[in-house]
Amino acid sequence: MKAFEVEGVEKNKDDSVLEIKVLPDRAHDALSHIGMAREICALEGRKMKVEASPRLKTSAKNLKIEIQDKKLCPRYIGAIMENIEIKESPEWVKMMLQKLGMNSINNIVDATNYVMLELGQPLHAFDYDKVKSGNIIVRKAKKGEKIKLLDGTEKILSNEGLVIADPEKALAIAGVKGGAAAEININTKAIVLEAANFDYASVRKTRMRHSLPTDAAMRFEKEIDPNLAELAMARVIEIIEMFGGKTVEVADIYPAKIMDWKIKLDLNYVNNLLGENVSVATVKKILTSLGLKASGSGKILAVSVPTFRVDLKTQEDLIEEIGRIYGYEKVKSQAPKVDLKAAEVNSQRLFERKTKNTLLGCGFSEVYNYSFYGERDVEMACLGAVKHLKLENPLNPEQAFLRVSLVPGVLKNIYENLKNFKDFRIFENGRTYEKSGEALPDEKRMLAGVVVIENQKDGAFYEAKGCVDTMLKNLGVGSYSFETKSAANDLWHAGRSAEIKVNQKIIGCVGEINPQVLEDFGISKRVACFEFDLEILQKNATSVKTYKAISKYPAITRDISMISQNKIKVAEILKNIQKNGGALIQEVELFDIFQRENKNSFAFHIKFGADRTLESQEVDDSMQKIISALEKDLGVEVRK
Amino acid sequence: MEQKIGAIKNQALEDIKAAKDSRDVFDLRVKYLGRKSELNDILKDLKNLSVEERKIIGPSANAAKIELEKVFADAEKNIKAKSFDAEAERIDVTIPGKKIEQGHLHPITLIQKEIEDIFTSMGFEIADGPEVETEFYNFDALNMPENHSARDMQDTFWVQGEKVAMRTQTSSVQVRYMEKHKPPFRIIAPGRCFRREATDSTHEHTFYQFEALMAGEDINVGHLKYVAEEFFTRLFHEKVTVRLRPSYFPFTEPSFEFDISCTMCGGKGCSGCKNAGWIELGGAGMVNQNVFVAAGYPRNKYQGFAWGFGLERLAMMKYKIDDIRLFHGGDLRFIKQF
Repeated sequence: MKAFEVEGVEKNKDDSVLEIKVLPDRAHDALSHIGMAREICALEGRKMKVEASPRLKTSAKNLKIEIQDKKLCPRYIGAIMENIEIKESPEWVKMMLQKLGMNSINNIVDATNYVMLELGQPLHAFDYDKVKSGNIIVRKAKKGEKIKLLDGTEKILSNEGLVIADPEKALAIAGVKGGAAAEININTKAIVLEAANFDYASVRKTRMRHSLPTDAAMRFEKEIDPNLAELAMARVIEIIEMFGGKTVEVADIYPAKIMDWKIKLDLNYVNNLLGENVSVATVKKILTSLGLKASGSGKILAVSVPTFRVDLKTQEDLIEEIGRIYGYEKVKSQAPKVDLKAAEVNSQRLFERKTKNTLLGCGFSEVYNYSFYGERDVEMACLGAVKHLKLENPLNPEQAFLRVSLVPGVLKNIYENLKNFKDFRIFENGRTYEKSGEALPDEKRMLAGVVVIENQKDGAFYEAKGCVDTMLKNLGVGSYSFETKSAANDLWHAGRSAEIKVNQKIIGCVGEINPQVLEDFGISKRVACFEFDLEILQKNATSVKTYKAISKYPAITRDISMISQNKIKVAEILKNIQKNGGALIQEVELFDIFQRENKNSFAFHIKFGADRTLESQEVDDSMQKIISALEKDLGVEVRK
Repeated sequence: MEQKIGAIKNQALEDIKAAKDSRDVFDLRVKYLGRKSELNDILKDLKNLSVEERKIIGPSANAAKIELEKVFADAEKNIKAKSFDAEAERIDVTIPGKKIEQGHLHPITLIQKEIEDIFTSMGFEIADGPEVETEFYNFDALNMPENHSARDMQDTFWVQGEKVAMRTQTSSVQVRYMEKHKPPFRIIAPGRCFRREATDSTHEHTFYQFEALMAGEDINVGHLKYVAEEFFTRLFHEKVTVRLRPSYFPFTEPSFEFDISCTMCGGKGCSGCKNAGWIELGGAGMVNQNVFVAAGYPRNKYQGFAWGFGLERLAMMKYKIDDIRLFHGGDLRFIKQF
């Protein structure tokens, strides 16, 4: 509740192993027994007893260490030890490693791992006799340089990453993994120990490049305190000396020593950010328990941070330490005092909601599909002509492309739902992504709907068109028209799809899906679909509604029916009636279509009205004009 | 005269018995009570009678008229009542009604609307951002520079050949919004996010988050708690308390894991919360000053809180859904339940 969480406790003989989740910002110090002990002492208000570490005596004669890139390697300590006898580790070392899930290899490797677990500093041991002329060089790898690793694999290195090398060859990928060239084996008599510090970003890049998430890399990339190297070297020497090893010389290259740093801490800020009233004494007590030194008595404290707390760099970092140890449960809920202000309206969202509600009323149910689909979907839906964006690292080939249309997704929904339903309507409102040439792809907020009907004779097209009509009217889209799709792409049925236009501009489309496409998607029924770009739709819609007075005078309705020999579109007939019937026409409604051989029969209700009582004669005159115009202009035969 | 009135009345009463339909009743009414009826003539003629006669004939004629009015009305009512046979027309009321197809919104849409409405009522603005994001807004501006290990916390889908990724969190909207607005403000940003992880009953590579961000000169941890408690209490229609546990996110400092008291057991412990009494919901924290700086604000001028919660988690709690994969399954047997 105040620091890390115990995720599990595992009994291991007479011991218990705690599994603790260490957050990434504390991996540099808390991923070790000593770090965890420090944390527990701080939480319980105890003082930690640390046995004085043996001092490291440096004395280098033969061991020459050369750091070529001091930015990427701030410190390198090397030690030559002789009188080494490679054998099994003693029981206490083996037990510890086993409990913590590490394999015991031999006494030297185990000693380095033991110290890593105890202190958090990764170490490495080379066979001294295999290090050419005893020279350790920390340098950038040469482009294309190869290294054989301890596990036998070979890696081709990049010239960005660091290697540990002798004058002839690379011995290890710095901070990541040792190489086979100077591997310790049963014949090893002398070793070179390494306790170094490497730039975290560089280690991270290297281990990612080679996919080597080793224990060492995972620690180094969390940014380790360079002062820890010295402690760890002293400790590992101490252990190997217990095994009979003899320290010959130690070299420490540490050009820019890291010292404790100071942070100015404003007590007012502490309490302003936490929303609490923590006293100076409490703040000081908490900081001291964590190993920090806080001086000053007023509202401003000077806080000295020990180098092992790499994560504490700002006032806010300190406030977090104070907050968690003080206890967030003590922080009281308090209503913010703000100016009363109505929230800015998100008009896109309101429009989306209105659209969805209209479709809901038309019987459509909403689905969500993934933003990705596969190459097969692209091909089946005939979308190959659109340049797709592709994922660099898809989970699988079926999810590799960023969708440019919602249609493939809803077609898959149809296929699945036909197993359980015969009549249904589905819509999706989601984004599509296309290359734009800009930094970000062109993201469109799209709307797609499909109509699946059981009775295939009626044709799903008019059902879908009817829904589109209702939707557009409800959204307040002004005068729009349905026109034969000019350049139908193969996704749509070339003879049964329409573009919806406002002022000659396309705002969407409705049509049957190409039967070939349906077949590819495994759909045995004819299906009609519509697709809109919501941004364009919204631009053409208005939420303004104005009441029009209801006429006090009765309307007169006349019916007209006609037979046409040629393929005349209903839109042409409607237009002709409107034009010739004049201002008295209030509404023309198609109520019957009949097809036989090459003849089409249409019947319409024509509603006349005006702000006065109409005379029968003027309606008759108007009808006469309509009839003669239809016969003359369109060549239809009006039934009388 | 009185006899005459009695005879008219009796005749009418006799005739009405024979009436079969409304038309008959109507005709009889015209015959006996209409303008040209005998009774009407008598009433019209009253003024020509002597005072004594009028005293006798008047009430008598009026009484007959009233009586006949009632008889005709009753007859009409009787005929209407008999005009259809309810028994013969009896239907089976247990046969299902005509099927009316109604659409259903996706549960994420429903929960998102609820959330948006609650926050709008508290004066929060709804902000949106792109789902494909630049490294800057998704990572750098959120204090996750390149090669920072924090980027590992979120497995990212990268887009081939472009320096863009599928956004891993709605936090990417933060800096986009801040670049265009100055504190004080309060926003939420709901939307679709992506992480490259294998899908199972509790994990999805495509998921929904809503970000909350409130910034001003004095916003503190107590405010975060209050706003969150207010929101969750509204959402679940019962008193909810919030618990903060220390955590780490690069874009907040301090950072919290965010739990709410279990809405099923009220914090006592039940199977829903695995006896913890608390339900883990997501991450929160006080906005890292580096994020404010990335947005172009001066360091340490403003304070703010932020959080990001999963919508699925809330929908799953609210509707007792046990498999996260249902959300993108497109199965109408699922959708039609909402």
